[in-house]
Amino acid sequence: MRVVSEKTQSAAAEKMAKSLSKMDGVEASVNERVNGTQTRYIVTVDVDVENWRATAESLRNDHEVDYCSMITGIHWPESTEKTWEIVYHFLRTGVTDPAIEEGVVVPNIVDFSKVKGMNVPLELQISIILGDTRTPSVASVQDIWAGADWNEKETWDLVGIVFDGHEGMRRVLNPHESPAGFHPLQKQHKLRYHDHEEMYDDAQGFMRKPSDVGKVK
Amino acid sequence: MGPQHPMTHGLWTLKIKVDGETVVDTEPELGYIHRGVEKICESRDFTQITTYCDRLCYASANTWSHAYIYAAEDLLGVEVPERAEYIRLIAVELQRIASHLMWLGAYGPDIGNLSALVWCLREREMMMDLLQELGGSRMHYNFPRIGGVKRDLPTGFALRARHKVKLFLNRMQEYEALFDESTIFLIRSQGVGYTKAAEMINAGVSGPNIRAAGVNYDIRSAHPYSVYSELDWEPAVERSSIKGADCYDRYRIRMEEMRNSANLVLQALDKIPGGAETYHEPGDPKILAKAPSRAPEGTSGSHHFEDSRGESMFYIVGGGEGRGKKPYRVSIRSPMFITIPYAAKTMIGYKVADIPAIMGSFDPCIGETDR
Amino acid sequence: MASTDWLDINGWVSLLVGFSMDTVHDLLPFYQSEFASVQPMLETLISTSIICTIIFGLMMTTLLALTWIERKFIGRLMDRFGATTSLRSLWVGESGVTAGDWWNQLPLGIGAPIGWLNGILNSIAGNDHKLETISRVNNRGYHGIWFLLPGLFQNVADFVKFASKEHIVPEKADKFVFEIAPVIILATTIMVFAFIPFGPHIWAANPELSLLFMMAIFGIAPLGVFFAGWSSNNKYTLIGGMRSAAQLTAYEIPLLITVLGVAVLSGSFNVIEIVDFQIEQSDTWNIFLLPLGGALFLITMIAEVERIPFDMPEAEAELVEGWWTEYGGMRWGLMFAAEYMRSYAACLLFALFFLGGWQFPFEDTLASLPVIGGAIASILSLVPGVVWLIAKAYVLFAGFVWVRASLHRVRTDQILEFGWRYLLPLSIVNLGVAIYLRLEVWTGESWPIWAAPTLSLIALALFIIYAIDEDKDALAYSRRPYNIQASDKAYPGKHKE
Repeated sequence: MRVVSEKTQSAAAEKMAKSLSKMDGVEASVNERVNGTQTRYIVTVDVDVENWRATAESLRNDHEVDYCSMITGIHWPESTEKTWEIVYHFLRTGVTDPAIEEGVVVPNIVDFSKVKGMNVPLELQISIILGDTRTPSVASVQDIWAGADWNEKETWDLVGIVFDGHEGMRRVLNPHESPAGFHPLQKQHKLRYHDHEEMYDDAQGFMRKPSDVGKVK
Repeated sequence: MGPQHPMTHGLWTLKIKVDGETVVDTEPELGYIHRGVEKICESRDFTQITTYCDRLCYASANTWSHAYIYAAEDLLGVEVPERAEYIRLIAVELQRIASHLMWLGAYGPDIGNLSALVWCLREREMMMDLLQELGGSRMHYNFPRIGGVKRDLPTGFALRARHKVKLFLNRMQEYEALFDESTIFLIRSQGVGYTKAAEMINAGVSGPNIRAAGVNYDIRSAHPYSVYSELDWEPAVERSSIKGADCYDRYRIRMEEMRNSANLVLQALDKIPGGAETYHEPGDPKILAKAPSRAPEGTSGSHHFEDSRGESMFYIVGGGEGRGKKPYRVSIRSPMFITIPYAAKTMIGYKVADIPAIMGSFDPCIGETDR
Repeated sequence: MASTDWLDINGWVSLLVGFSMDTVHDLLPFYQSEFASVQPMLETLISTSIICTIIFGLMMTTLLALTWIERKFIGRLMDRFGATTSLRSLWVGESGVTAGDWWNQLPLGIGAPIGWLNGILNSIAGNDHKLETISRVNNRGYHGIWFLLPGLFQNVADFVKFASKEHIVPEKADKFVFEIAPVIILATTIMVFAFIPFGPHIWAANPELSLLFMMAIFGIAPLGVFFAGWSSNNKYTLIGGMRSAAQLTAYEIPLLITVLGVAVLSGSFNVIEIVDFQIEQSDTWNIFLLPLGGALFLITMIAEVERIPFDMPEAEAELVEGWWTEYGGMRWGLMFAAEYMRSYAACLLFALFFLGGWQFPFEDTLASLPVIGGAIASILSLVPGVVWLIAKAYVLFAGFVWVRASLHRVRTDQILEFGWRYLLPLSIVNLGVAIYLRLEVWTGESWPIWAAPTLSLIALALFIIYAIDEDKDALAYSRRPYNIQASDKAYPGKHKE
C-alpha cells in the first residue's frame, strides 16, 4: 500500500516549521509520534494571541492547510500565566476538486508515496496561551475555514472562550436557555456525585442529595 | 423535523423553511443527547474512559474506542505489539462493515424500500456475532486496552470470520440488485444533494462523504497508523458526477468501502504474526504491552483516526487528578458534528422529499455528535 | 345470456323476503290491502338491507385475509434471498429444514405428494448446507400448522387496540372538517363495494352504468384525504394532504381512460355485463386482449390506494404517516382499514375487468375435453364463482405486496410527472387499441382466433425487451443521470467464492 514515506513527511514538516517560525510571535517545531508501523511528524506551533489571525491566514494561503479538524479550549485555573489554552488541530490534505474531461469526472487518485511539496499531508497542532482573564478571547477563523464554525461554537459553549468576529455564536450542545456565563468545562464546575459509585454502593439512591431526590440521576 | 421523528437517524431537530415543497433555509439543533462525556472523562482513569468511548457512536463502537486508545497510547508513550495491531485492525474493519450495514439498513427505508432494513440487519447479525466473539458483547465491546487488546482471537474465529465475510461479499450482490437496478432508487438519489470536494474539505467533512466526490483522501493512507500500510489495499473512490457528489455516489462509496473492509479483514487474518489460530492468554505480552498508568503534567497526545463517518480525533492532555492517573482534558472530535451543519446547508434548493435522502446519505449518528 | 352458478344469494334473499312478506300479508287481521300496496316497497327495503349486510360481511371477512397475506408474504420476502427467489422459501429452508414441514399438517395425509415435490425441488434448487452460519437468524420458531395460524388473530388484536384508544382532536383543528374527513373516506370506500359483484348473483346494486358510478365514488376519497390533511392544523399533514390530493387526481385520469377502454371493448358500462362478456361472448379474458390496459390499471390503482411505490403522502421518512398523523383510535383504525378496502376493491375490479371475474381459468376448454370434460364441468360447477373471484383478488394482492417489499418510494413531483407524462398518453393509446379492436376486429359474436394470442405476444415481447438491462460497460462511461458510474463497479457475479 502506498503511503507517504517518513522522509518526505519529516522534510515537509521541517520546512513548514521553519517558515512558520519566521513569522512574528510564532514558534514552530516538529514532533515525532510513533504509532503502529510508522512514525508521524506533526508540526507543533505556539502562537501569540495577537498574531493568530495573521498566522491563520498565512497557513491557509501560503501553506495550503485546508482542513480544520478541532478546536479545543482548556482551562488551567491554577496558573496565572497559562490560564486558558486554545489548541487548534489542522490537517493539510492536498485535496482538490477532481478534473473533468469530456463531461466525465476523473477521480483524483493521489499516489501518496510520490507526493511532493505542498501536497504532502501534514498534521498541525497550534496552541495559543492566554493569561489570567475573565474573558478569554481569540480571533475567529470562521471565514478562513468553514469547518471552524461549529468547532468555535462548541468551544465557546463548553469552555467559554470568546471568538472575536464569529457570526452567529450560539449554544450548540448545552440547552439554549443555559445561563449566560455557564460554561461546563471550566474547572470550577465539578462533576456531581464525583466519587459516588452509585451502582455499587447505593443502588436505590438513598445517598443522593436532597435536591436530586425524585430526579433521574 | 424532530426531535421526535422516525427517520432523522438520531435525536436532533432540523428546522426547515419551505416555500411550497422547496427548502429555502435550514438550521440544525443538536445537543439533545449531550452527555458531557468530555467532562466525565476528566474524572476517570484511562482504562475507564474506553467504556465511555464505545458509547459515543453506538452504531460504530469499536472505531471510537480504538480512536481513543491510540490517542491514549500516544499520550502515555506505549508501544503496541504487532499482533495486537492486527487484531485491532480486524475489529475495526468488522465494525466498519457493521456500521455501514446499519447505515444502509436505515437508508433503504428513508427512500422507501422496507426490505433493505431487514436484509441489512440480517448481515449485521453475522458481523455482530464475530464482534461478540472478539469483544464479549454485541454493541459496546470495550475491546482495546492501553498497550494492546483485551483478548486474542478465539479458537476457530479465523474460520468463521472468513466464512462469514465471504458469505457477506456474496450477499452484497443482492443489495446492489435491490438498489442499483431499481430505477426508482436511481431517480431518487441521483441529482440530489450535490457536494464538491474542495468545499467539503474546507468545511471539515471527511471520510466516505469526501471520497464520494472523486478524491482518495483517507486518513488510513494519508496519515497512516496501525498496520494499514502493510496490507495491500486502496481506499475506495467514487467517480462523482460533474456537479459534485450526489446521494447516489455517497451510497456507492459505502458499498465499495464495505468490500474494502472485508478485503482488509481477510488479508489481516492471513498476515497476522503468529498465525490466526494461535491463542495467547489475556495479558500475554504478545497481545498486551505493559503501559504506564500516569501521564504527568505537560504531556499531551492526539491521534487522527478514520472512523466510519469521517475523521475522528482525540486530544488528551495529561496531568489530571490522581497525579496524572486521570487526564486533565479529553477533547473529542466528531466528524458528524461538523458534517451535519454542512449537510443541512446542502439541502437548500431541493425538495422536502429529498431531505431524508440527503440526510441519510451523509450517515448521521447523533451519539458522537452530541457526545 | 348471463353466467350463473348455484350460489344465488340475491335470489334466495328475495325468495325469503317475499315469502315472509306474503306470510305477514296473510296473517294480518286487517289492513291487508294497504299492506299489499306497500309490500313491494317493503320487500325491496328489507331485501336490500339483508343483501347489503351480507355483502358487507363477506367483504370484511375476506378482507381479514388480506392483512394476513401482507404480513406473511412480506415476512418471507424481507428475510430471504433476493427479490425473485423469495418464493423458494416455501420449499427450501435453511440447513435443509423448511420452516415447519407445513405439508405434514394437512389432514388425511394429502400433504405427502407435496413433501415428495419438496424433496425433488430441494435436490434441484435447494440450499447448500454451508449456510448454517446464519440459519440461527432465519430459523423460525414455529413448526407445523401453528406457523400459519397466528397471523390471523393479529387483526383482532389490532381492532381491539384501535377501539380502545382515546379519540384526540387537536386543539386548533377545525372540528367539523376533522370529523367529517374519515366519514367521507370510509363511506365512499364502502359504497364502492355495493356495486362490485362478488358472484353472478351476489351483488347489492346493479344499475346500468355501475362502472361509471363506481369510479365516480372511488374518486371522492381524495377529497376526504385533503380534508383530513388540512383540518389537523399540522404543517406536515397539510403537505401530506396536498401531495395526496395531487397524486390521486393525477392518477384518476389514466385510470378512467383505461377503464373506458375496458368498457368499450366489452360493450357495456355494467360490471356484470363486462364479466359476462368475457365469460360468454368473447371466451377470452380481457387481459389477453388489452395487456397494456391491465398493466395501466394495476399501476394507477397502486397509486390510487397509496401503496409503495406511490405512498409519498404517508411517507414515514418525512411526514410520519402524513395526512392521518393526528387521528387516533378508531378513526385511524377505520381509515387504515379503508386503505386495505380500497386495495381490495382495486384487486377485485382488476379480477372482474381483466381476469374474467368468477370464471375458473380455461373453464370452457376443460369442459370441452373429450372424456373427462363433463366430469370436470360438473366438479367446477360445484364451486361457487365467488371463490375464484376472491382467489384471483388474493393473488393480485400478493403481487401488490411483492411490489411494496421491493420498490422504493417515488418522490411526489416524480410521481406526478410519471402520471401526467407517461401514463396518460399510454392510456389513450390503450383506448385507441380498444376502440380498434371492438370496431374492426370484433365479429359480433367472437374474436378471430388470432386476436388474443397476437396481442399477448406483442405485449410479452415488449416487456422482455424493456426489462433486459443494457450493456453494463457501455453504461459505465456514458453520461448521468440514471446511469451508473463507479470507478470500479460491482455487479452480481463479481465476487465468486
